[in-house]
Order: sequence, then C-alpha cells, then structure tokens
Amino acid sequence: MEWKHRSLIDLDTWSREEIEYLLENAKNMEDLLDRPIKKVPALRGKLVVNLFYEPSTRTRVSFELAEKFLSADVVNWSVSGSSSVKGETLRDTAWTLESMGADAVVIRHGAVGSAAYLKNKLKRSAVFNGGDGTHAHPTQALLDIYTAWKRLGHLDGKKMTIIGDIQHSRVARSNMIGFKTMGANVVLSGPPTLLPPDLESFGAVYEANPFEAVKEADIVYLLRIQKERQDEGLFPSLDEYFLTYGADERLIKAAAKEALIMHPGPVNRRVEIESAVADGPQSAILAQVRSGVAVRMALLYLCLGGAGKE
Amino acid sequence: MTILLRNGLIFDGEKLGEKAKDVLIEGGKIQKVGETQPQRGMENHTYDLDGKIVCPGFIDLHVHLRDPGQEWREDIPSGALAAAAGGFSTVVAMPNTDPPIDCASLVQYVMNRGMSSQGARVLPAGTVTKGRSGERLAELAKMAAAGAVFFTDDGSPVWKSGLLHKALLYTRNLGVRIMEHPEDLDLSRGAQVNWGYSSSRSGLKGSPVSSEVSDIHRGIHLSEETGSPVHFTHVSSKKGIEAVRLAKRQGLSVTADVTCHHLVLDESAVVDSRYDSLFKVNPPLRSSTDRDALWEGICDGTVDAIITDHAPYHSDEKDVPFQEAPFGIASLECAVAAVLTEWNNRGKPCPLERMLYLWTAGPARLLPKKWSNLGKIREGGPADITVLDPGIEKTVDPSLWRSKAKMTPWKGRTFANWPIMTIVEGRIVFGETE
Amino acid sequence: MEDADTYKTGKFRRQGDFALDKGDNRRNSRRCLLFLWGVLGLLREKAKVMNADEMTRALKRLAHEILEKNRGGENCLLVGIQRRGVHLANRLKEYIKETESKKVPSGVLDITLYRDDLTLLHDQPVVHSTAIPVDISNKTVILVDDVIYTGRTTRAALDALMDLGRPSAVQLCVLIDRGHRELPIHPDFVGKSVPTSQDEVVEVRVNELDGVDEVVICQREEYRQ
Repeated sequence: MEWKHRSLIDLDTWSREEIEYLLENAKNMEDLLDRPIKKVPALRGKLVVNLFYEPSTRTRVSFELAEKFLSADVVNWSVSGSSSVKGETLRDTAWTLESMGADAVVIRHGAVGSAAYLKNKLKRSAVFNGGDGTHAHPTQALLDIYTAWKRLGHLDGKKMTIIGDIQHSRVARSNMIGFKTMGANVVLSGPPTLLPPDLESFGAVYEANPFEAVKEADIVYLLRIQKERQDEGLFPSLDEYFLTYGADERLIKAAAKEALIMHPGPVNRRVEIESAVADGPQSAILAQVRSGVAVRMALLYLCLGGAGKE
Repeated sequence: MTILLRNGLIFDGEKLGEKAKDVLIEGGKIQKVGETQPQRGMENHTYDLDGKIVCPGFIDLHVHLRDPGQEWREDIPSGALAAAAGGFSTVVAMPNTDPPIDCASLVQYVMNRGMSSQGARVLPAGTVTKGRSGERLAELAKMAAAGAVFFTDDGSPVWKSGLLHKALLYTRNLGVRIMEHPEDLDLSRGAQVNWGYSSSRSGLKGSPVSSEVSDIHRGIHLSEETGSPVHFTHVSSKKGIEAVRLAKRQGLSVTADVTCHHLVLDESAVVDSRYDSLFKVNPPLRSSTDRDALWEGICDGTVDAIITDHAPYHSDEKDVPFQEAPFGIASLECAVAAVLTEWNNRGKPCPLERMLYLWTAGPARLLPKKWSNLGKIREGGPADITVLDPGIEKTVDPSLWRSKAKMTPWKGRTFANWPIMTIVEGRIVFGETE
Repeated sequence: MEDADTYKTGKFRRQGDFALDKGDNRRNSRRCLLFLWGVLGLLREKAKVMNADEMTRALKRLAHEILEKNRGGENCLLVGIQRRGVHLANRLKEYIKETESKKVPSGVLDITLYRDDLTLLHDQPVVHSTAIPVDISNKTVILVDDVIYTGRTTRAALDALMDLGRPSAVQLCVLIDRGHRELPIHPDFVGKSVPTSQDEVVEVRVNELDGVDEVVICQREEYRQ
C-alpha cells in the first residue's frame, strides 16, 4: 500500500484500508515491547518535538516512548514556564520549531483547530494531533480501535456503546468516526445536555436508558466526566450522574458476556465507572495504555520515514 | 465636473431598462438620462459602457470602520476607499468603536472624517445605550440631530427588554430606526459556531437558532406595542426569516437585512476548512437549510437589504487557531461579486433587479428622510452611481485591497459580476479613467 | 533483499508481494506485472541463472556445507531474513532433517526497522514480524538471505540480531552472491556467485511467494521520455 499521510489531524479522511494497514504495522511494533532491548534505529536522526499546551502525562509519555523506541531525538516543549506564557503565538512557536529542524511536532492544545492551524503554518514538519480542544484526539481513537480489533478479531457489525460527555469529548468524537469507519455500530448514552445535537453526521444513535444502550454491546466505552461540566450546569451533581449513567457491575451485566470495558483514562472512580468494573476481568484499560505505544510507533514509522512525500 | 456615461443599461432602483441609455452628470447631480451627444471638452470624462449596468450607488447599511480607537484594523479613510472599490457609494459605520459613538460630538467626528475622506460617503450610526453598556439610553435626539442614521448596539443586542421598549418609544418621532443585533446572550454564551452540525463535529459551544429567533420575536412584539419601526440586522436563520416574514404580513414596521457571507457560505465551510478562523463570524454560519431560507427571503421580499458586516481585523489578530480568533471577516471589496456569483450559481432564483434593489432602493428606504433621494436614478437626483460589469471575471486578491484588513474567506476565488466604477455626488471615487 | 534498496525496484518487489495474495492467479499476475514493467521500460528480464532443479541442488549443497562446518548442526539456529530468506531457511531446515534426521530450530527476522536507507525511500516498507522461538544467546546463528549485494541488509540483520541476544557466532548463507559489496561483509555459504553490473537486478523467486522456483537477472533501464 502506498502510504499517503504524513500528518494526522483527525480521522475524517482516513479510509478503512489505511487504518487496517496501520493496525497491522502496530501489531509487529507491539512485539518489540516484549524484547529486552526495545529500541530500534528506524527513526535515527529524526527530531520530534512534543509541544504540549495542556498538562497530559499519559499522551505525552506514550508519544515519548514511541519516539524513543524508534530512536528519534525527542524534545519536550511544555507550556509551563515556556514562551506561550510570555505571549508567543502558536505561529511563532511553529516557525521556531521548524527552524530548529523539527521533523515532526506532536501538539496538544486547548483550542479547536490548533493542530490543523499548525500544519498549515509548517512547510516541512509533520504534525500529529495529540488533542485539539474538544475537536479530535485521533491517536487515542487509533489505539482504542487497535485494542478492540486485537481482542475481537474485527469490528464489522460490532456494537460499541459510548457513555458520558460526548459533546465535549475529543476522544468520543474521534472514536465515533474511527469505529464507524471500521464497520462498528456506535450507540451513545448519557445526559442529553452532554450530547452533540447532530448525531446523524456521525452515523451514531442515542439511547437514553444506559441499560438499553449497552444491551449486547461488544465494547462499552466510558468517558471521563469533567467536574467543570457540573459547574456549567449541564448536570446537577456527580453523584446523580453516577447513579444514572455510571458503569457499575449491574450495568456491565447487561452488555455482551465478554464485552470489553474501555476508558481513555485517567479514571474517575465512582463518577463514570466503579472500581469493580475498572479493575475487573473485562477491563481493557491497561491494554489500551500498552496499545498506545505500539500504535504511535506505527504511526510515526509510517508517516516520518520516506523521502519526498507531499 | 461633467461626466457622461454612454450606452449603459439603466437600473433606476426598481426596474432594469432594456435599451442602452446615456447618463449625464453635472454639478454632482444627474442632469439627464437619455440620449446625449458628447460635447467639446467632455472627451476625457465620457465613458462608453457598452451595455454594462448603471445602478444607483450601492448602499451598505452595516460596516465596521473601527474609527475611533482601533485604527490598526481599519479607519474611516481606508474603509471609505475600500467601500468605493467594492462598488458602494454609501456605507453606515457601526458605532461599536472605542469609545463607542454614543454622543453627538462623536457622530460629528465620524461625519467629518467621512467627508474629508476620498471614497464612499460614510454615514454614522449611534449607539442605543450610553457607552454601549446596555444600561441607559444614550442621547438619541442629539445624535439624530447631528446626523446619526441608525441607533444600534451592534456587536451586542439591547438585551434588557425594558430598555429596548423605552428606546423604541423614545425614537418614535426621531425618524431614525433602531437596528437590533438579534441574539439572546444567555443562549449563545461561549458559542463559537452554529448549534448543530458544526458544533457537533467540533465540540465547540454552539449558538442555537433560538438565540436569534427569540430576540427577533421580542423585538417584533416591542415594535408593535410601541408603534416604532425596528430593523433586524444580519438575520442568519430560517426561523429568523420566517418571523420577519410573518410580521411583515401583519403589516408591522419590521425590516431585516442579511449578510453576504451568510448568503454564500454555510457551516460546512467551517468543518471542511478544519476550523479555519476565516470562517468564524457572529452570528455563526448556519446550516444549508438556513442559507436556502435567506435566499427565499430575498426572492419573496422579506429581506430589505444585503449588507457586508465588513468586520476588519489585523491579520495577526485573525491568524490564530479558530477557537482563539475574533469573530468577523473583511468583505467590502468582493461582497457584491461574491453574492451575484452565488445568485448565478443558484440558477438566478430571482430577477437581477431584485438583487440590485437590495443594495439600492431597499436600504435607502431604511435611512432617515434626509437621504431618501439615494438609491434611485432620477434626473435632478444626487449623482451616486455604481456601474456593474456582468461580463467581467476576477480573482479575489486581498493584497490589492484598499482596506487595511485582508482576512477574507474568498482569497483566490474567482467571481463574476464586479462593480467597475463608483461615483459619489458626481466624483468618480473608484474606476478606471480610460 | 538487496534489490529492494532502490525506489523503483522496492516498489516492484512490493507489488509482487501484493500479487501473491491472489491465490491461483498469483503466477499470472506476477507475469502480468513484469510485463507492465517491461512496457514501462523499467525492468527487462535478461537471463535465467537458476531453474527449480538447480535451485534445489544448490540448497541441498548449502545444507551439507552448513552441517560440515558446524559439526552436524550442533547448537545451530537458522534465521531467515524476511521475506524470501525465510522460505530458503525453511528449505534448508528440511534438507538438514533429510540428511541428518536432526531438527535444527529456525526463526524469522525482519530487518525493516534497522535499515539505513529508510529516509531515502519514497514509501515506508511494511514491518513484518520477527519470530525467533528460542533464545539466540550462545547459539550459532545462520542468517539466510536470498541475495547478497551491498551487504547493507546483512549489516541491518546483524544489528537486529544483537538486540535480541548474544549469539556465540553468526554465519551468513546466501543463495546468490552478486558482488558489489559496500561493507566488509563476506558470506560463509554461497549457492552461486553471479557477476552482475550495477544496473542489473537479481530476482530470486520462490514457490511459496511467487509460484515458481527460479533466479533471473533483469536489466534496469532508465525511464526515457
């Protein structure tokens, strides 16, 4: 297959073949994680900058491991104490990074559209979206797809139920698009105030009753509930949320017997998920973390190697 | 100066003539419409238009010229030149400047600065409330006397209903309309895009159509009760158009305008561009259904005027990620061609006369009596002329613009139907001197 | 592997890989592709170096040489380099079993991530799996590849091996040595030495992937307009 992507902004333009090709590569990358020496020289001499405007230990560490296992040179450029505090614009930061010779920039930024913006400003460097505001978190979706695909064999016709704050979740948005592309059926549940008004454009359906929503589901995906949504008055209290939509053992029983329980982390225990479920036998939460490194390695390998693309 | 425009098709504000005629301009007035032979000494100011359309000077009821206070974005001289280059002979400058135009002396400032500028005629709008704060009425009568042609808190609605009620009553006898920016701020709090497709795809907070419609309904009821006319600016939704249509059918003194960008673009542009800040405007770009409804409103007479809502920013302010960018785009110098190209692409849903009316007699009707002779071509009337060339195709190149603001979503787009000459009171303010 | 070092033939090889998925048609589609390249003027089949029988004979001889040098294959491990080396290693394993009725373990090595030309290629090559069932430490590893050319593939394979453990010795077995070494690397076992020029490509075809056992020399021609 001729790999045409050099950057990853969102999954809207990725075909099923492309995602599957990446998954296949990721599988062989995951084997590396079991070796005594995990480092391979594939990206030797490439400079990757992790540009993080929001604190995110998980995504940054996962990208950093992937970069290091592929022998790229890694620079972490974090917001705290750095230039954005001094008021440097993203545009100037972008050009600075490029002048320093960055081959790729992984960006996590609070503003929707920041990753696409960065890509437009950079002539040479590839851009990987590590989360742009509420818009997209495509590598999270790829690692979730990988985790489920490996466990279930394929995703065709599988039922995935996502519960929680769909509207403000970049994870939910990228997953809805990615799992749909892979042939899964996506069902959503949660308070209607946390739901996007236009579900049709995602090909997803809403089911108010969480027990109905998870019925026969192969994957139950719980989203992190942010305290600030309560402050905005989108639901009255975290306790009421848990009692209505929280994933406890009773709810999980309603899903398919071997259903995977997934969560992007970090987990709010007894808000969106109960400990017994998060730590239970069906939980794929730690497998997701491991997948993250393999999937990001495959992504970096496919996009960063090769001369003269784009 | 004497100018002779030969062989143009005349649009007089209502009808488009079928036979080419000549227009003779002398002393800032239209002297004669009909056959005129060029006389000795007039050669330099005689233009053979060869079937191009001679219209009354176009009027834009809604532009932001940022003067006083934000002159790095635009000022009255640059805005007036930009307007002229876009085919407009008259523009109404919105009062949300710094300080806001909320008293007679500031109205006078805008008038004076407009008069000393080269391009289009600049008419001032004053704020409804002191300091545009939405708390108490500004000195409306004094501003009316100084020459304010609208009262508006544009950028914000007059959100206190009691205050809007008082403002409508108070201005009933002033002959100056209130222009309401229809938005319920509580419904649209934090909104960046339309509540619907674009808010769903982006996760951004959406401004629901109800925010616009509820304010329009409120305004209609207040207008009816006070017996004072009200004008709704930049109506963007189907429901908004329907509310205005219904009020008009009931014989109420309610009018509305729509922007060029809401006619040409919808929210899919926001998503497809991957949240390019050049598509960030307020009210937000709505659905394609809403856009279709605006065109229906144009065809059936619900809409009274097309505006640009030219909202200039320095490119450093606008060249940031979508969520961090201010609302507004620059469009004065391509709006007419953009709208007429869209009209053409839609299979000409209404006669060209209707489109031209919305830039001429339509908006002129909404201005105070003093300006009621604008928007028409009549012998003895003021020589405000816009010449439109339906044959010409040009590509939008903001680097050539007279406006200080270059941030437009249409850079590089090719449009047909460009204004090629603008005349204000007998002075050619834009156009080739062949 | 060596002929995958350049863009044009790298692409050619991968297209060939694609053709093998087509089951019974694989031979035809490969020929069809060859024909297409012929039409494009990029690769022209020039001479056959080995046919199926000659290939079997050469491999059997190599199996004997390996046994001879390693005292009956004691403590040996055959490691085939993805992709055609893997099948050659499997054959060697069979022939060793026939001769000595002894099972020598074998494994598969993918050297893609160790290549020194990744940044020069137009497209990233697919990462195949590496699967070596036993610990290579203190073993005699016999690396098996189809062709040795510049020696760069072998260099990458050595690096990949060293990351997996510390073998007591590494030996190199190739079916074809076509010369033009760019690194100080010398094979221990050679099926056949074939003098070639730089603008030629040596294609080893194995039944498992290509539907035929043979070795051919193709002429690479510059594309002219």
